[in-house]
Amino acid sequence: MGPLLSLSLRQVAGRRRIAVIVLLSALPVVLSVILHAKFGADREFLDQFPEGVINNLLLGVIMPIVVMTLATPAFGNEIEDRTLNVLVLKPVRRIAIVMPKFLASVVVAGSLLTVTSVAISLIALGSGGGQAAFAVAAAVLTGVLAYSSLFTWMGLVSSKALGFALVYVFLWEVVLSQRIRGIRYFSVREYSLSILHGLDDETFSVFEPRVIEFEAAVTASIIVIVLFFFLTLRRLNRMDIP
Amino acid sequence: MIPAPSIEITNVSKWYGSVVAVNDVSFKVMPGITGLLGPNGAGKTTILHMTAGLAKPSDGDIRVLGEPIRGNYKLYSRIGVMSEHEAVYNVFTGRQFVEFSAKMQGVADVPGAVDRAIELVNLADAQHRPLGTYSRGMRQRMRLAATLVHDPEVLILDEPLNGTDPRQRLEFHDLMQKLASEGRTILISSHILEEVETLAETILLVVSGKLAAAGDYRAIREKLDDRPFQLRIVCSDPRKLAAELVKLSAIDSVAVEDDGSLTVFSRNVAELQSSIARLAKAADVRLIQMEPLDESLESVFSYVVSR
Repeated sequence: MGPLLSLSLRQVAGRRRIAVIVLLSALPVVLSVILHAKFGADREFLDQFPEGVINNLLLGVIMPIVVMTLATPAFGNEIEDRTLNVLVLKPVRRIAIVMPKFLASVVVAGSLLTVTSVAISLIALGSGGGQAAFAVAAAVLTGVLAYSSLFTWMGLVSSKALGFALVYVFLWEVVLSQRIRGIRYFSVREYSLSILHGLDDETFSVFEPRVIEFEAAVTASIIVIVLFFFLTLRRLNRMDIP
Repeated sequence: MIPAPSIEITNVSKWYGSVVAVNDVSFKVMPGITGLLGPNGAGKTTILHMTAGLAKPSDGDIRVLGEPIRGNYKLYSRIGVMSEHEAVYNVFTGRQFVEFSAKMQGVADVPGAVDRAIELVNLADAQHRPLGTYSRGMRQRMRLAATLVHDPEVLILDEPLNGTDPRQRLEFHDLMQKLASEGRTILISSHILEEVETLAETILLVVSGKLAAAGDYRAIREKLDDRPFQLRIVCSDPRKLAAELVKLSAIDSVAVEDDGSLTVFSRNVAELQSSIARLAKAADVRLIQMEPLDESLESVFSYVVSR
């Protein structure tokens, strides 16, 4: 897996792509700094911080966009450049091809967004925000794993994966999951939010009325990660390689 | 005892929806060099893709080194495949690309194997340059080095001479002969007749997804030489040359066209080619231009198929 993970990391870490995702990841931090400078420890700011910065901006927009930017080209670019046959014509199991592609997105998106999570929590809540920072980081990592699995599969099945991923995120995760309660059991964003609340229900009590059960969120996240990883493997095994 | 074929294709077909790309093709490939010849769009790449396990046949059976190839990932340690497309990772230098291939193949002595493979394709001087800066021919050669790095028993090469210059073609020719003499099986595709005739002893001729002819190159070549052939000649005195040409047994007929050129019909290309210059000189006629009117590969293949 070593050489392929190294290649995958070099591929996802192209200068332009890295610049875009670093800027996106820095956006919540910059916003937190500005808001904190303006409102300080104002109660109203602290009440609105979880909903505005963490839920709507970080979990709702930044996290899925960063992951889709990294994960959809993992196989999509290999198919477009016709380099996928370079990989599959080697004496390695298909899982040894899928795993590094998946991990490359997780490592890059996960590390950047963990830094973002910790930074915004500490900016908003000060040194007492350790528990909150841990909860935000765990929620974000869950989302990164689930989205990476989903978007890596999308990149393998469609040449228009980035477009489909954008439509899915904004229609399903941003609009429908916020309006139809039942959809929350099928939404990666809601899993992250419920894990966040489950790990620090005091700081994030604002989410109490809407989250699903912590156990359900953890189980559903694992199902999404494993299911789409398996579908990617299955697709790579069955497809005709261009 | 007859040796087992390295590649065995039995009643293989491939269709995409209602389009039949390959239609009930069967052949065996033995050690040595075998050329898969056919015009563009004949189905050569589809056959090679299925042979390499990249595509699943809609029907039929494919075995390489006695084992089914599709899904049999371990077999790739004994096979080297070079696809038609110039697929390389531009994040790599030439050497890194071959190294990557060697590591993925699980080669024991990676630096040694990489040195040997790069030496084989004569690219030692350029090995540390990024692949993005290579010419088309250099990229093809470095891809060949990556294909050879694990010392495969069977080589499947799809149009490997695309983009190479005449000197590189000669070097490639020598390398293939050397590899074949070591007992390897090499299946190489091309749409250029001359490219294959200097390389392969055995030919598989594919036209419109079907195997039109298979076997010894010379036997197929005789069929090709015996085909009706039209030649257009522009010369200083067409009527005088026509009068001399009709005396040749190789000539079926000669027509003087309105523009003053000659159209010659022949079934013996070899005799026509060897006689025409001598005949013109003896008749004191200056040859200005000669061009085959039906020399396209498609017309040659169509003729062979129709026989």
